[in-house]
Amino acid sequence: MALPLKFFNHVIEDYAMRVTFDPSAGEGTIVFNLSLVKNEDLEYAISILKDAFRSGVSVSGLVRFIPSGVKLDDFVIPAGCTGICTMCSITFDSLLIRRGIPINPIGGGIVEIEDRAPVRFTHMILYEHTTVDPLEVLMSQKTTSVMRVMRKGSGNILANIREFHMEAEPLVEMVLDELTSSSYSGILEVGMPNTPLLGVPVSPQYISIAAIGGTNPMAAIRESGRFVQARAMKGLMDIREMVDIRTF
Amino acid sequence: MIRTERKYIELLRILREHRDPMGAKRLSELMAERGFVLSDRAVQYYLSYLDTMGFTEKIGNQGRILTPAGMAETDNALVDDRIGFVISKLERLAYRSTFDPVTSTGDVAYNLSFVPEEDFEKAKTVFDDVVRMGCGFFNSYKIIDRDPRIPSGYTGFITVCSITMDGVFQRNGIPVKMAYGGRLEIRNGNPLQFRDLIGYRGTTIDPLELFISSGLTSISNYTRTRNGIALANVREVPESAQQQVEETIRLMNACGFVYPVSMGSQIFNLPPNPYRLSIVAFSGLNYIGNCVEHGIEVKTEIGAGNIPFAKVLE
Repeated sequence: MALPLKFFNHVIEDYAMRVTFDPSAGEGTIVFNLSLVKNEDLEYAISILKDAFRSGVSVSGLVRFIPSGVKLDDFVIPAGCTGICTMCSITFDSLLIRRGIPINPIGGGIVEIEDRAPVRFTHMILYEHTTVDPLEVLMSQKTTSVMRVMRKGSGNILANIREFHMEAEPLVEMVLDELTSSSYSGILEVGMPNTPLLGVPVSPQYISIAAIGGTNPMAAIRESGRFVQARAMKGLMDIREMVDIRTF
Repeated sequence: MIRTERKYIELLRILREHRDPMGAKRLSELMAERGFVLSDRAVQYYLSYLDTMGFTEKIGNQGRILTPAGMAETDNALVDDRIGFVISKLERLAYRSTFDPVTSTGDVAYNLSFVPEEDFEKAKTVFDDVVRMGCGFFNSYKIIDRDPRIPSGYTGFITVCSITMDGVFQRNGIPVKMAYGGRLEIRNGNPLQFRDLIGYRGTTIDPLELFISSGLTSISNYTRTRNGIALANVREVPESAQQQVEETIRLMNACGFVYPVSMGSQIFNLPPNPYRLSIVAFSGLNYIGNCVEHGIEVKTEIGAGNIPFAKVLE
């Protein structure tokens, strides 16, 4: 008998058990997404990653490029393709869990942005109802317009949301403070207690935080009509193995 | 404020369901049916607000219609509400499926798809492949070209939606819940395990539509080599209903419905759910998924409505 499928809220918790990221020291392991682009599109991908970081639609400026034929964990980068590792937004959920903050990861979806400010979620897939990463399937729905957000400040991006018990607010504030001076830059909006955030309801006595999805730059590359296989795999990586996109 | 938004979205939804312009009086009647009791005057007030937003448009003195922006708004607003909408739309279709497998009469639920005329022959072959492999829920489909919903230059296909089954169970007094849409891996013609599941109660987009557009199916491989990944749904009924369910399935099989793939209390790699019987059935969307894999530009309305069973067989 095959093992039962694992739903995504549990996938997040399993990753959290292995994340050791310390934002103030800039050390430890983070969760990454591996995406694939064609070798000839690499220059373009780098320019988009830079723009995405500059315009604030990526989770982090840290990347790692893996050439074809090289093996990462159990995954071999196919011929003709380059692997791009970017920080996955569940690194943030993992960090909160590791700090002892009671959280419920809620789900991933699409957020409408107007004049650089988030307006509302327009699509949502709840983690406890899916075994596939919501942002992986939402990316190909033609509902994103990440490039427009980068260029004009309005459009739709990939984002996710979690809630924490309001009792832990001081601790969460501490973590958020530490993150401001770290390589993580994915916080989109922090809500009020007992108040829905961007149209998504919150549990009694909880506060929600919306964050940017890790593969927005990949969505932008796809929007331009180029081949991208986003989230070919996920894994853990020491943050020191990644480099700042601005050095390219 | 939130309550207000709920009301104006409901107005947009009503207009969306009706093709013809509609006046404030009729709208306030329909709103009341849905639990929003408003005076004609209040409806007028909301409508003028919707006009300013560009969501509705006045057509002389006949009433209002939805603009494309209004259409988009119903697709985007109230995300939490829409999570429940995917399933409640299907439940409505199930309830309206009056099909009786004993007499082979009554209505079934259907999906409406259309393809450009130049792709018609190719699409037909692709549909026939799915029929041949028995992974389309029903063993035939219907071609239509005269329907106001089909744009000129396109040909339409009507396929039976598997939610018909839920209607039949319900009418036989069996409580049934649609649980998941999934992608089922098949090896040498034998279903092996689910690769992924998405629950119908946890998404604003139909789970199977998500799998198709993300390229996570390989139905064409399956029809060619009997190895691949096809779309299947998981429904749950009480274990105590097993005998009745089996009898109903037998009757439906005799009418041309091809299911289940499997049935049991712990099958494949589904999450355990004690005292419940899972029914796994291939989805009618395998026709559509197979078209997409073949690069055919197909558009589909899932659960487009109900039609008499006899019409599908014509």
